[in-house]
Amino acid sequence: MNEGKVIQVIGPVVDVEFPEGELPEILTALQLTNPTIDDTEDNLVVEVAQHLGDNVIRAISMDVTDGLVRGMPVKNTGKPIQMPVGDAGLGRVLNVVGKPVDGLGEVKADVYYPIHRDAPPFEDQDTSVSVLETGVKVIDLLVPFPRGGKMGMFGGAGVGKTVVMMEMIHNIAMQHGGISVFAGVGERTREGNDLYHEMKDSGVLEKAALIYGQMTEPPGARARVALSALTAAEYYRDEKGQDVLLFVDNIFRFTQAGAEVSALLGRIPSAVGYQPTLGTDLGALQERITSTKKGSITSVQCVYVPADDLTDPAPATTFAHLDGTVVLARTIAELGIYPAVDPLDSTSRILDPNVIGEEHYGVATQVQQILQKYKDLQDIIAILGMDELSDEDKLVVARARRIQRFLSQPFHVAETFTGTPGKYVTVQDTVKGFKEILEGKYDELPEAAFYMVGSISEAIEKAKEIASVNK
Amino acid sequence: MPTLNDIQRQISAVKKTRQITRAMNMVAASKLRGAQTRMEGFKPYAMKFREVLGNLASRIEPDIHPLLVKREEVSKIALLHFTSDRGLCGSFNSNLINKGKSFIKSMKNESKVTNLTIVGKKGNDYFKKRDYEITESHIQIYDQVDISFINQMTKGFIDRYLANEVDEVYMMYSSFINMGKQIPTLAKLVPVEPPKTKEDPSASGSAEYLYEPDPGDLLIELLPKHISVQILNAFLQNETSEHAARMASMDNASKNCNDLIDSLTLIFNKARQAAITADLMDIVGGAEALKKA
Repeated sequence: MNEGKVIQVIGPVVDVEFPEGELPEILTALQLTNPTIDDTEDNLVVEVAQHLGDNVIRAISMDVTDGLVRGMPVKNTGKPIQMPVGDAGLGRVLNVVGKPVDGLGEVKADVYYPIHRDAPPFEDQDTSVSVLETGVKVIDLLVPFPRGGKMGMFGGAGVGKTVVMMEMIHNIAMQHGGISVFAGVGERTREGNDLYHEMKDSGVLEKAALIYGQMTEPPGARARVALSALTAAEYYRDEKGQDVLLFVDNIFRFTQAGAEVSALLGRIPSAVGYQPTLGTDLGALQERITSTKKGSITSVQCVYVPADDLTDPAPATTFAHLDGTVVLARTIAELGIYPAVDPLDSTSRILDPNVIGEEHYGVATQVQQILQKYKDLQDIIAILGMDELSDEDKLVVARARRIQRFLSQPFHVAETFTGTPGKYVTVQDTVKGFKEILEGKYDELPEAAFYMVGSISEAIEKAKEIASVNK
Repeated sequence: MPTLNDIQRQISAVKKTRQITRAMNMVAASKLRGAQTRMEGFKPYAMKFREVLGNLASRIEPDIHPLLVKREEVSKIALLHFTSDRGLCGSFNSNLINKGKSFIKSMKNESKVTNLTIVGKKGNDYFKKRDYEITESHIQIYDQVDISFINQMTKGFIDRYLANEVDEVYMMYSSFINMGKQIPTLAKLVPVEPPKTKEDPSASGSAEYLYEPDPGDLLIELLPKHISVQILNAFLQNETSEHAARMASMDNASKNCNDLIDSLTLIFNKARQAAITADLMDIVGGAEALKKA
């Protein structure tokens, strides 16, 4: 194991000089001892990013670099960052380099995996499709989740991405029984803490690995933590042949951190200031999140949409990798409808009669049609008023408004905010409810009855309640 | 996020709509003038007619003519229902139809059957689709209405009444109060309830007139005319109301268009600025990065 020495530190970028002919490869992890972090040896990991020439490499730090001085010794580990995988990581909170941050002592793992790995080869990929029930009406109806697939939750700031994600964890992971891995990438530390305690209380923590690199971490950590988490998930898929759930909140922060690193390395920025290697970075991560013949990874990823602009390069590039997209729209959140899923923008690869069945497919497309019609009529209503619509159009508007409200649903994880207990709705109930609304069975019920309820029987119940209050 | 082109297209679409609503507003305004003049010209005649009839009726027994007799058993009703031929007049038609519907429903609750005579395409379209009994429909006749047409209509109602096909005749029309207010009004045509004269002995209304021929014969002659006058009055009022309603609703629509254009323009400007900023950032960023290299 050879050693080099620090010759320059600029923020999270560290330049190290090595003896002639002993230069570490790109993506190799180097270790330093930074007295500012704590008293332990080799507590700072940096990752080689560039060879600058003259035996100097440029590395990106995974933790704070304050306190480093020139001439400090740097150890070459000779391999990429190693992530402890396997059962030792379950129930624990780890950081990007696999160190525990939950204060429960060392992680004693037998197996370590490098965080940079190749995507499974073409012939190993799994091609079977089946539906994963989420218990959320709008998602089950219009954006069915494929088991072993990748779903993205797109949305601007404050439209409820994390809440929907938490509900997914609540509904899927807590019933799942298998291993779940949660990657907290550049989001609020408080949310990560909330999730940890919620999992602990509900007893699923023993089957979950949490890997956090939140907002406070330097860009190097945020650009790698998704890979660390993925590595932990890959172990269970490849070695144990299990079905793993991987939650990532928020994949945009991965891109954003990549852009920060890229700028620090002095690369010329590409469109809207992103790194020129945006597509490569994202591809290297996303292609690894896939299901193979051995096991599967079902992943749900949050994608922040800067300025609500879905054509921004970061979300636009992410789109291409996913099996389905749940788009959360501000216009719907403004109507007070939560989850604020845009029923017309959201799509799923398996919204296909061969997968979900003719009935479900028919209801889903009809719901989209009627909502699209309502959207088209909205200008006319704004200008001329409801009275000018033909009777058919009035009916379309009435049903569309009921459907729009029925797409809302109280969440388990939002119970403390809304005061309404959360509702889990099975796919059969969802399809039945929407089908009957489309058939005009509930044209008589007031619109408010459909708002924030679970199945259609609850809407009928609520209508009776409203009627009795009005009397 | 919609592109600049999309927003621009939407703005121009709304502008075209505004052009139409403005034109319709002006057409309605000029038609309203004509209709209002006709209505106001007819008003003094109708008033005087009521006065004379009231005066006559106050001095004769009501059982002199079958049109004056109230039937004790009422099971069949005829309703002359007015609507307009064209739309785009706000809630004019739906107000009329709703009132008509609730009238028919209340009659039904008293187990009385209502037969509809409809004036206007909108009402015809509405009631025809649903389970209502329609005797006849008059469509596109507002331009051709004259007294002979009305007399024919009156005769039809009287004949049906005398033949015991119906026991009561009502009409539903929109009475014109002022430019901003038109009220759907229900009026009873048959049996005729003569207007009450004011019980004021000093007023000239109650003065003793000499009638030639005698009041009874005259009344019999005047009763069908009275019905005709009421129907014609309803026609004129309804037409005036329609134009007034259309004028108001089109004015409103033009205003809504303006609001919509304003908000769309705001979005357009924001998007334009954002696009320029993004472009500038790219150029400056690129130039800066190249400078260092």
